[in-house]
Amino acid sequence: MIDLAQNTLDGLFLGSSYAMLALGFTLIFGVLRRVNLAYGPAIMLGCYAATWVHLNSGAGLLALAAVAVLCTTLAGAYVERLCFAPHRQGSAIAAMVASFALWMQLEELATLALPRHIYPFPPLHGGTPLEFGALTLRVESLVMLGAAVAACAALWWILYRARFGIAVRAVIDQPGAAQLAGISVPRTFMLTFAMASAIGGLAGFLVAASHEQVTPMLGMMFTLKGLLAMMLGGLGSLPGAVAGGLALGLLEAHSQWFLGPQARDLIAYALLFILLAARVPWMTTRSAS
Amino acid sequence: MSLLGVEDVFTAYGKIEALKGVSLEVAPGSITCLLGPNGAGKTTLMMSIAGILKPKRGRIVFDGTDIAGRAPHAIVGRGVALVPENRLVFPGMSVRENLLAGAYQRGDKAAIEEDIERMFGRFPRLKERAAQFAGTLSGGEQQMLAVARALMSRPKLLLMDEPSLGLAPLVVEEIFRIVADLHKDGATIFLVEQNAHMALKVAHHFYLIEQGRISFSGTPGALAEDEVIRRAYLGSSRA
Repeated sequence: MIDLAQNTLDGLFLGSSYAMLALGFTLIFGVLRRVNLAYGPAIMLGCYAATWVHLNSGAGLLALAAVAVLCTTLAGAYVERLCFAPHRQGSAIAAMVASFALWMQLEELATLALPRHIYPFPPLHGGTPLEFGALTLRVESLVMLGAAVAACAALWWILYRARFGIAVRAVIDQPGAAQLAGISVPRTFMLTFAMASAIGGLAGFLVAASHEQVTPMLGMMFTLKGLLAMMLGGLGSLPGAVAGGLALGLLEAHSQWFLGPQARDLIAYALLFILLAARVPWMTTRSAS
Repeated sequence: MSLLGVEDVFTAYGKIEALKGVSLEVAPGSITCLLGPNGAGKTTLMMSIAGILKPKRGRIVFDGTDIAGRAPHAIVGRGVALVPENRLVFPGMSVRENLLAGAYQRGDKAAIEEDIERMFGRFPRLKERAAQFAGTLSGGEQQMLAVARALMSRPKLLLMDEPSLGLAPLVVEEIFRIVADLHKDGATIFLVEQNAHMALKVAHHFYLIEQGRISFSGTPGALAEDEVIRRAYLGSSRA
């Protein structure tokens, strides 16, 4: 029973990082109707930039987080310019394949700058985990959850209360009409991309700090987890992205405990396959509001 | 001087030319109507003026400036608003948010709120449904919302692409009453219409477009007297 509770707790913490990744994916997919495979690698590059700063200076955690967010945003803007701006009217496949090419490029860039396979990343909190009865809580996990909640709240405020949110939702809803209403669609694309990248950069920083290490494989992990969580929650739905992220975290925590680490990823993919094959309603409708 | 001058405009979809040298003028304060069969280039012309399509050749002079080929949002900023064919409201946003989107380029919050109230005064049905998703409105209500959204940018020229399309006769009459009201309040309107009978009641000048070229330009009187047009658009039984 305690194990079940502990797994659920761990799953929620893990899932909160997935939820942030899925939110970023969903924003990009929602406004562009394009899958950005280079989303994870851009975040990885942000983490590598923070690692480089960490290795070459005594910068504190907040400064490292800022570097990760900033560099992920820059890398995201680069991806948008190269892969998505030229293919706005054209083929979605062309944009996706181009983003795959940039994935390789960003990974090469990271390994050229820092060639070893693994680099240490400073932990958020060096101390021992907190204990509540038989349950243990890592401080990192609490920070992760807090950051995810804050990111969701900020995103909600921007989308539903701020002027810019009207533009984002209008472009998601009806891009043709958005430009007729005087909204600059290219600018909205660019800013949404930057916003999604910033959320991803924050998630990446927290994941790197909780793993206490970075590897070039992080890029693939971010892309796969984010995509999977987005699809589980239904393509294009923001609340769905959060739900999908948490569900994926819970699923992984429980299947790792009951079936072992090898089964962990397999179960998640199997679930996605079953849901897609069964055509559950929330996965076949596309709405972002 | 005209508010809008379209001068020898060519617009193509790939290699297929939809507009083959269109020229026309819209006088300030007038209701000008463009008639024509399906596929003649009516919507293409509207989209070329609004900047959605880029003309290959020709000038589109609005208020003394050539706006041909500019970005759609920049054209809205200059004071041209298009109510598109099939309305295209934002279905997943509330009626109120649709209106806010229409005022997106304006920074004057207080004046925007005033204008929303003014729209609610003009379109009471929209006020009743202010918090409802636009996708849940009836076709006529969506058309009113699309007009109100366009007006929220405070345009100097309102373009309307077949506002009566797919609406019940009573609703069509209401839409044309709104068009007449807007004109009374000083608006300049350039209208695409298939419903020539309704258009004859409000418009001051008519153009007929056929196969990408303007084939007729004249007053409602001249239009009603033209044998060919009468047969094609007004039904030959009407004298």
